Amino acid sequence: MELRVEGVEKGFPGTSGDAGRLILGGVSFAAPDGGIVCVLGPSGCGKTTLLRIIAGLERADRGRVTIGDRVVSGTMREIGYITQETTLLPWRTVLSNVELGLEFAGVSPAQRRATARRCLELVELAGFDGYHLKQISGGMKQKVALARALAVEPRVLLMDEPFAALDAQTRNALQEVLLHVLERTRTTVVFVTHNVDEAVFLGDRVVCMTAQPTRVGKSVEVRVPRPRDRTGPELNALRKELLAFLAEQRLNSRTAPVEADLQPPGAAAGSPGTLPNEARAK
Amino acid sequence: MVSGGRWRFPLQLAPLVAAGLLWEAFGAAGIIPENRLPPPSHVLSGLAEMVTRGLPPGSHLLGHCVASLRRVLGGVVAALAVGIPLGLLMGRSAWLRSLVNPFVELLRPIPPLAWVPLAILWLGIGDGSAVFIIFLGAFFPILLNTVAGVRAIERGLIEAAIILGASRRELFLKVLAPGALPATITGVRIAIGVGWMTLVAAEFTGVKSGYGLGYMIMTARDIQRADQIVAGMLVIGLIGFAMDALIRAAERRLLRWR
Amino acid sequence: MNRAVVLLLSLALFAAAAPAAAAGEKLRLGYLRSDLHHLAAWVGIEKGFFRDEGLEVETAGIFNAGAEEMSAFASKGIDVGYLGMAPSVTGVANRAASVKAAALANAEGSAIVVRADSPLRQVKDLAGKTVAIPGYASVQDFLLHRALEAAGLAAGAVKIIVVKPPEMITALESSQIDAFIAWEPHATKAVTKGVGRVLLPSSQIWPGHPCCVVAFEGSVARDRPAAVQAFLKAHARATAFILANTEEAVRIGVQYTGMDEKTVRAALGNITYRTELERAPVREYASYLARLGYIKETDPDAILREYLDPAGLVKDARP
Repeated sequence: MELRVEGVEKGFPGTSGDAGRLILGGVSFAAPDGGIVCVLGPSGCGKTTLLRIIAGLERADRGRVTIGDRVVSGTMREIGYITQETTLLPWRTVLSNVELGLEFAGVSPAQRRATARRCLELVELAGFDGYHLKQISGGMKQKVALARALAVEPRVLLMDEPFAALDAQTRNALQEVLLHVLERTRTTVVFVTHNVDEAVFLGDRVVCMTAQPTRVGKSVEVRVPRPRDRTGPELNALRKELLAFLAEQRLNSRTAPVEADLQPPGAAAGSPGTLPNEARAK
Repeated sequence: MVSGGRWRFPLQLAPLVAAGLLWEAFGAAGIIPENRLPPPSHVLSGLAEMVTRGLPPGSHLLGHCVASLRRVLGGVVAALAVGIPLGLLMGRSAWLRSLVNPFVELLRPIPPLAWVPLAILWLGIGDGSAVFIIFLGAFFPILLNTVAGVRAIERGLIEAAIILGASRRELFLKVLAPGALPATITGVRIAIGVGWMTLVAAEFTGVKSGYGLGYMIMTARDIQRADQIVAGMLVIGLIGFAMDALIRAAERRLLRWR
Repeated sequence: MNRAVVLLLSLALFAAAAPAAAAGEKLRLGYLRSDLHHLAAWVGIEKGFFRDEGLEVETAGIFNAGAEEMSAFASKGIDVGYLGMAPSVTGVANRAASVKAAALANAEGSAIVVRADSPLRQVKDLAGKTVAIPGYASVQDFLLHRALEAAGLAAGAVKIIVVKPPEMITALESSQIDAFIAWEPHATKAVTKGVGRVLLPSSQIWPGHPCCVVAFEGSVARDRPAAVQAFLKAHARATAFILANTEEAVRIGVQYTGMDEKTVRAALGNITYRTELERAPVREYASYLARLGYIKETDPDAILREYLDPAGLVKDARP
């Protein structure tokens, strides 16, 4: 199902007389049905806030999010959500964690067991039904989280840096598992990451965010057929382009607060480390 | 548990046994006067007398234990029945917290025993009073620990359940209650301890059934048998110890996932 | 007034025998809270009778039960005390404390009380009912057992529970108990309050039964005979005063019990104030306590030797 993000704005109230801060300055993009959109941006640019708004956990100040022809106004089962930190219930076994959403949907015990088993198989975790979370690795936990989200058959899956805490090898393996699963389920995915390699490997499209107030600064389609070669020339070229954009954004976001917070009024011009970008940012 | 586990318990007992022997020796040598603190041998024979003859004669030890345990369980179960649901709600709702907290903060520092005269006025000298007083002692640890337990649950867990479609009821039963369980169990442990201590003192003021360990100790004082006073204290200590061991075993089972 | 004559005679005897050697001696006194049986102690303080004997008497403890007062004796926190014969005999027999009984404080003065509207008319009717006593091994415990036995009731026929005297009237009023036995003025208070009716006064359970005693801590009785004699003299004088000056006695009773004048006046009439200890009733208490399993030492003669102060106001001091 198609997901559209249209002119989403979000600010946080400021402290002690400050007018407040605009985090999201009108974000717009779309994810076509069954497509994978990777959202790439410097850390702290409000990617998580954006995803929470799409998930219906927070409200946008302005703009809207639609899936199909419905406007998102709160959480809904059609939208799944996976985060970097595990949100599995530690007192439940692997299998009963995957069953959780089905329990809420009122599915009969026998049927939800069968569905949960199938989903665990899909993420290559067959045979770990009765394990407790403390007995399995971080990568396995994220697989369980994926299986749990998929069990309720969401139309859109939001993933907030789900593999960021894993080592490189595990991360690569999980990326492949994810692609393999999505081939079967055809779920629309919005995948937030700060890792360029991950974005170009997974995405049908990569959406790059600017520094705060965040907007979409660049949006590129990845026209590389799967299976993709991580170190092939197409991805490398794309990587280069995106890294250059990110570097530029990083400079902007690093100097802007320095100017605002630390420098005494009037000292800005003569201060060392003043860069051409800074003038442009003003 | 691990190697040497078989010897751990006897080894823990060794200092107690040594202290007991020393106490006996001091008693026999007349260093500790018998009417202040009777030696262990007399305490044990006093204990045997409570089993065979009863204290007061006819009211046997087992009956006292059962009566006291019933009161403690009644009070603690009532505290659980009120404390857990209210604690879960308060943990989730800042509004409810700010409504209830002033009352909690005002009532909590009042020792349960200060309620004895009112309890007798409201509920008489029967079991109702004792259960009420134990309830007061047990309620606050359960409530406050449950509130803290809910608040310590990571927001992500709750949000994930909401996204997966949890209803309000399901959220409470399947996320908040089990999530707060470790803290609640700590609360229950404290509650049973407080309840047990409160009970004995509450029974000092009289009980209608004529049974109860506090009542038994009071009787031992009435008939001025220091050996049986100490024996009664020993029984109370042992039961308290056993109850705590039981809870810890239950905790290990319930919280195996940790 | 025959008793008064005996008293005055013994008083005269003391006056002649005891030198004024107690000058400046200090005694720490204990008695029970709101127990009108101990009126002589209060009169002795209020009228300065102890001071007249050269004693400095300081109230060191006001107790809720005789057993508590015995603990105070054991820790040597008091030197002399007014308390029931039953708890003091129990304490001596169980070696909880060393005390010597030297004089009687009163005889009679307890009663079994039922609700004013109760259908219970005689002791036999108490079968299956709940009766409160102020404590085990108390004089009232003893009296109740004796009354039940006399009425042909077995030990288990009545449910006996302990309720502290101040709570008895409330418990009776709210039907938590069917009857209680208590010392004065609690029995009379239940009546004047309209809550209770006397089922049986203790004077009818055991006519002339001894009740409370004046007891000295063992080492005081042994080492300070002059103080003991001086105290007993003042005690006898106070007792005689109560018998001769009812109005003033009532006033002091009201002051110390905090109860109304009507109650105290009526209660006073139910108490016999006399000072002389007799051996036979002590023996009877001892054998009863032994029979109920309250005491470890069961030889009454041994208990009597330990318990009675031969230098006290004891009739027939030889065993």
